[in-house]
Amino acid sequence: MSANPLSAPLTLLRDPAAGPVASVDRLRVRYGDTLAVNDVSLSINRGEIFGILGPNGAGKTTTVECIGGLRRPDSGSVTVLGLDVRSNAKELRERVGIQLQASELPDKLRVGEALELFASFYRDPADPERLLSLLGLTEKRETRFANLSGGQRQRLSIALALIGRPELAILDELTTGLDPQSRRETWKLIERIRDEGVTVILVTHFMEEAEYLCDRVALLHHGHVIAVDTPAALGAGMGERISFRPARPLDLEALRQLPEVRTVSRDGERIVVDGSGDLVAAVMAVLVRERVVPEQTEIEQSTLDDAFVALTADANANAAEETR
Amino acid sequence: MSTTTIAVGSRSHGFRRLMLTELRLFLREPLLLFWGLLFPVGLLVVLGIASPSKPEHSLGGLRLIVVYTPTVMMFTLTILSISALPAALASYRDKGYLRRLSTTPVGAVRLLASQVLIVLGLATCVVILLLLVSHFAFSVPLPREAGGFVLAVLLAACATTALGTLVAAVAPSQRVAAAAGSLLFFPLMFFAGLWLPQAEMGTGLRDFSHYTPLGAAIPAVQNATAGHWPGTVHLLVLAGYAVALCAIAARLFRWDR
Repeated sequence: MSANPLSAPLTLLRDPAAGPVASVDRLRVRYGDTLAVNDVSLSINRGEIFGILGPNGAGKTTTVECIGGLRRPDSGSVTVLGLDVRSNAKELRERVGIQLQASELPDKLRVGEALELFASFYRDPADPERLLSLLGLTEKRETRFANLSGGQRQRLSIALALIGRPELAILDELTTGLDPQSRRETWKLIERIRDEGVTVILVTHFMEEAEYLCDRVALLHHGHVIAVDTPAALGAGMGERISFRPARPLDLEALRQLPEVRTVSRDGERIVVDGSGDLVAAVMAVLVRERVVPEQTEIEQSTLDDAFVALTADANANAAEETR
Repeated sequence: MSTTTIAVGSRSHGFRRLMLTELRLFLREPLLLFWGLLFPVGLLVVLGIASPSKPEHSLGGLRLIVVYTPTVMMFTLTILSISALPAALASYRDKGYLRRLSTTPVGAVRLLASQVLIVLGLATCVVILLLLVSHFAFSVPLPREAGGFVLAVLLAACATTALGTLVAAVAPSQRVAAAAGSLLFFPLMFFAGLWLPQAEMGTGLRDFSHYTPLGAAIPAVQNATAGHWPGTVHLLVLAGYAVALCAIAARLFRWDR
């Protein structure tokens, strides 16, 4: 084994030009009577990990299937690497790597054989040995697909998506069914892939995964895009919460008058303040002025999870309004 | 073993690798090797040893082993193309492997092509082996009309692989494909004379059998063996099945679950 198989770059960027790697414009896909994807527009930048989030049935997989050229949109356009997906399917198969949700290999195909096989499909593939070691599968080279664990299958699937040295990798439900340990390892791997210059579109319904990995995320709900931003910005928009037990009685009006504060409420002996901006500093300033010592202080930053719950609730309310 | 491939990828390179890989996978199925390769040869040997060495009047003055050799050839064709082929294709679809391949430059159509070519190749090997065994062990004459023999066997192989592909096309799952394959096996092989040689069938039954895919192959092969060009009707029946079944299979084939 060579000194450090990870040091050589996995991909060589063929076209390092700026501009979106993929753009989706007013995409619509219909299944029977339902619109699975309804007016979705997205723009994915080169070199980012772009997350597509949403509950089951939100249209995530359908959207990436259109980007990957596996499904024809009913209307709207999809441009990938500057090429229209509909008329350039062949060229794009060469340059886009896809990891499909729940796709298996023949039971008796060995790991090494699978990589050699898929390498032979591409003009300029990555070295299978290097990918094997990058994904920690070197020792499994002679193992049949049927005898691999869930995590090993998932890693092999990622390796096969990367073997053609794609400029764009689409990974659908990457870590579903993995144990926490394998999930973390897979995340590290995706970051490494991004660092090597591959743009990644990640479909997931795990908020934690999106928060950890994604540079930007799009939230999908009932076939609509309801938000696109960085995970931090989406979370921050939802604000913060600080709660504490005052050492002596406190007039809540003083807190309510702060511009940063949205609501103040009592929870037994505790006081709970919700708000946004520099909430913690503003609340602390009032406590110092009033000479109240806060005990057992807890500060909660809103997460992407909270943002998601709030945004989908809004979307549901709007939809209910419209149908009324 | 350390294999470092400096692969210069190209479509033809990919197809060759796909063929090689599929062949390997085929050879890793012991049941298939038994029924498709060993059993037909064994059957021929047992029949050759057990059957009377005198020509029989009821078989048109031919020895039983001479009559059975083409039937055993059709047996191999049937096992490989009606049982093995649809089971493999349907399982690949169930697993999402066909769909996975369709995202690569090589595409899923080439996988289907490689499967069909492997079945045809293996069937050819077994047919040659059966010819040699029957000839050298039991003095069955080699086909005197070699061209007609090759054409008849080839058309029969095309018809059966097309039927196998059609089974894979319409079967909703691997399980159904396997069941349909074995259900089709019995009537197909009955009309090919596995249980009752065509010569011993009643006139009506025999005439009918000549319009079934394998039943038409038998007289075509027998004629070629005896030194005549196979009957046009039999060849047309085989070609008709091959073309029609191919067309239907191509229309109905689903690449996706």
